[in-house]
Amino acid sequence: MMNYELTAEQKTIKKEIGKFCQEAIAPTAALFDESPKDKAADLMKANFQKLAQANYFGLALGEDIVGATVAGEALAKTCPSTFLAAMSSIVSFGIPVKLFGTAAQKDKYIDALVKAQVIGAMGYTEAQAGSDLGGISASAAKKGDGWVLTGVKDLVTNAPLADAFLVLAWTDKEAGLEKGLTFFIVEKNASGLSVGKPIETMGLRGSLTAEVALSGCEVAAAAVLGGEAGKGYAQLQTVLEYIKLSIANLSLGIGQACLEVSTALGKSRQAFGKPIGLFEGVGAKLAVMFTNNDLSRLLTLRAAWSMEQKEAESAVLTSCAKLFASEAVNAIADLAMQVHGGHGYIRGAQVERLYRDARFAVIAYGTSELQRAAIAKDCLDKFKAA
Amino acid sequence: MDFTFTDEQRMFRDTVYRFAKEEIAPLGEEADLKGEFNMEVFKKMADMGLLGLPFPEEYGGSGADFVTCCLAGEAMGHAGVDGGHTLAWGAHTYLCGTDIMQHGTHEQKLKYLPKLASAEWIGCMGLTEPGCGSDAGALATTAVKKGDKYILNGSKTFITNAPVANVFVIFATLDKAKKHKGITAFIVERDYPGISTGNPMHKMGCKCSTTSEVYLEDCEVPVENCLGGEGNGWNIALAGVEWDRSTLLSPFIGGMMYMIENCSRYANERFAFKRPIRDFQSIQNRVADMRVVLEASKLAVYRVAASKDNGVALNPLLAAVNKMYVGDRGFDMCSAAVDLFGGYGYIHEYPVERGLRDAKLGQLGGGTSDIMRMIVARVLMM
Repeated sequence: MMNYELTAEQKTIKKEIGKFCQEAIAPTAALFDESPKDKAADLMKANFQKLAQANYFGLALGEDIVGATVAGEALAKTCPSTFLAAMSSIVSFGIPVKLFGTAAQKDKYIDALVKAQVIGAMGYTEAQAGSDLGGISASAAKKGDGWVLTGVKDLVTNAPLADAFLVLAWTDKEAGLEKGLTFFIVEKNASGLSVGKPIETMGLRGSLTAEVALSGCEVAAAAVLGGEAGKGYAQLQTVLEYIKLSIANLSLGIGQACLEVSTALGKSRQAFGKPIGLFEGVGAKLAVMFTNNDLSRLLTLRAAWSMEQKEAESAVLTSCAKLFASEAVNAIADLAMQVHGGHGYIRGAQVERLYRDARFAVIAYGTSELQRAAIAKDCLDKFKAA
Repeated sequence: MDFTFTDEQRMFRDTVYRFAKEEIAPLGEEADLKGEFNMEVFKKMADMGLLGLPFPEEYGGSGADFVTCCLAGEAMGHAGVDGGHTLAWGAHTYLCGTDIMQHGTHEQKLKYLPKLASAEWIGCMGLTEPGCGSDAGALATTAVKKGDKYILNGSKTFITNAPVANVFVIFATLDKAKKHKGITAFIVERDYPGISTGNPMHKMGCKCSTTSEVYLEDCEVPVENCLGGEGNGWNIALAGVEWDRSTLLSPFIGGMMYMIENCSRYANERFAFKRPIRDFQSIQNRVADMRVVLEASKLAVYRVAASKDNGVALNPLLAAVNKMYVGDRGFDMCSAAVDLFGGYGYIHEYPVERGLRDAKLGQLGGGTSDIMRMIVARVLMM
C-alpha cells in the first residue's frame, strides 16, 4: 500500500544525524571559504573522523538508500562542502568497490572507508572529456601481469586528501566504450601518480579539488576493479545513478538551508513596522522556495526508493531528481539572496556562500543539458512507431 | 515508504483507462467544440462506477480509497477525456457527493448518494459568490430559520454543474457577526421554491462542464436538509480541501501523461530538415521538462491521497504546494506542448490545443496560485 512516511528507523536517523551535524559540523562550516587550502584540508580530515564516529559513512554504504538520503540532506544542509567531500569518498569510490570489487578489494577498502581510515576519490573527467566518455585519453598498457597507466584526470574532487583513487582508462580502445574502458584502483603513493595543487573553485570551497597525473604509473593486475578489464563503462553507469542521487541530495540540503535562513529573516527583519515575511512579495518568495524544495525532496526520496527496489525506471528517476533539484536550488538560492537584500550580498553571509555552492549542482556529474537529453530519450523511445 | 500501487489499484486503473479511451474520450471532442455537457458521458461514468466511487456500498458506491479515486481521474485524463467532463465528475462526486457522504445523516445519504452514483441526479456545490472567491469566509448568502424551514437568500457564481444540477450543497451564514462560525451547509433540491440558475457561462476551457450563477430568493429548505449541523459549514468546506487537492487534481496528472505521449509521438513522426524533430535539442528539452513536471506532480498529488488512506492528518502546507505546482507548471507544460506541435498545436483537431485551455483552470479554480502562495507563506511565518 502506498505510503510516504519514513520508517521509524529512518526518522531516528533524521533526528540523530541532524543533531550530530548541528553540534559537530556546523561550527566549522563557515571557515572553509576563506581558509588556505592546507588549513581547509585539516578541517575536512577532522570532519571525516567525526562523520565516521557518527556512522555516517556506514549509512551511506548501507542498503537503506532512503535512510542514507535522509542523513545526506542533514549534512548537505549543514555544510555542503563536507557533503561533497564525503560523497566523493563513499559514493564515487566506495559504491563501485562495494558493488563491483573483488573480495580482496572489499576487504581492503570498505571497512577502512566506513571508519575514515581511507579517503577515496574518483577520476574520470579530463581536460577534453567529461560527459563524453569516448573522448577520454587516459590509457592502460599491459606490462607483464600488470598495467601501466598514462593520462591526466582533471577536476578530481578529494584528490588532495585521497588515499586511493578510482581511475578510468582505456584498456582496449578498439573495443569501444562498452568493452574498452576499465576502472583501476590506484593508491596515492603509487609511483608515477602525482596530485596537483588544489584548484580555487567558485563554491563548495571546502571540498578540495585537484588534477591527478599518471605518468608511467605501474599497477598490479589486482588493481583492476572487480578483477576483469573492460567493464568500466557499465560500472560507471550504475555508479552515476548513485552520484546523480547524491547531487540531488546535495541540492536539497542547500535548498533547505536557504529556506530556513530566509524564513528566519522573514520573521526577524522589520520594515515599515512589520516583519518582512508578512509582505506578500517576500511571503510569495518563501512559498516558492518551500514548494520547490519540498518537491526536490519528494523526487529525491522517490529516486532513492526506486534504486533500493531496483525498479527499471530508477535511471530516469535519478535523472529527474538531479535535474529538478539542481535547477530548483539555483532558483531558491537566488530568491534567498533577494529576501536578504544587501546583507546577503556580503562576503561571509551564509546565503552568499550557498548561492555559490548551488551553482555546482547543475554542472557536475552530467549537466542539466545531458539530464534533459536522457529523460527525453526515455519518453521519446517509448512512443516510437515500430 | 512505498510508492507502488496495489495490484487491484493497477487493474482498476487499466480498466478505466481502456473504457475511457474507447467510450468516453471520443464523445468529448465534439462536445468541447460546441461547449456542451454530454449526459451520455455521465451515464457511462456511472456504468463504470465512477460517479459514486468513494461512497460506501450501502449508498450505491464502490467504497474506494483516495488513491483509487485519484487513479480514476488519472486514467480518464490519460485516456484523453476532456477537462470539462472530468471537472463535472469532480464537482458531482467530490464537491457535492463527498460533502454529503462525510457530513450527512443516514437519511440524507440514503436519499442522495445512490441518485448521484447512478447519474439519476447531478450534483454541485456552491461556495463562491460574486463578492468573494478565495476569501470564502466573507460570504454573504444568508439563512434564517423559520419554523421547519430555513429561508436562503443570496447568489452564488462560477458553480460547476449548476445549469444541469438536481441537487446543490449551498453554503450560507446564519449569523454574519459570528464570521466563520456562522457558516452552515444546506442540501437544496432543484424543485425547492426560490432556487434558480443562470445561463451557462462561456468559458475559455473545460467547456464541457457547465457553469453558472445560482440565485436563492427566499428559497425554502426543509430543516432536515441542513448538512452537518448549524455553524459547521466552514469545517465542511475545509474538509473538502483534501479531495480538492487530490482527486480533483488527478485528471491533470493524466492530462500530463496524454500530453507527453502525444508530443513524443509527434516528435518521432514529424520531419524537418530531413530528420525527425526529436533529434533537435530544443524539442528534447521540452519533452524532458514535461516529464519532470509529471513526476513531481504525481508525487505531490498521491502524497495527499496516500496520507488520507493511511490516516495521516492533511498538512495544509503540502496541499497548497500541490495546487500551486500542478496548476502553474501544468499550464506551462501544456503551453510547451503547443509550441512543440508548432502551427498544428494551435488547431483544435490536434490533440494539444484543448489541453492548454483546460489547464488554465488549474491556476484559478479552488483557490488561485496567488492564494496558495499566501497560505504557504502564512504557515511558514507562524
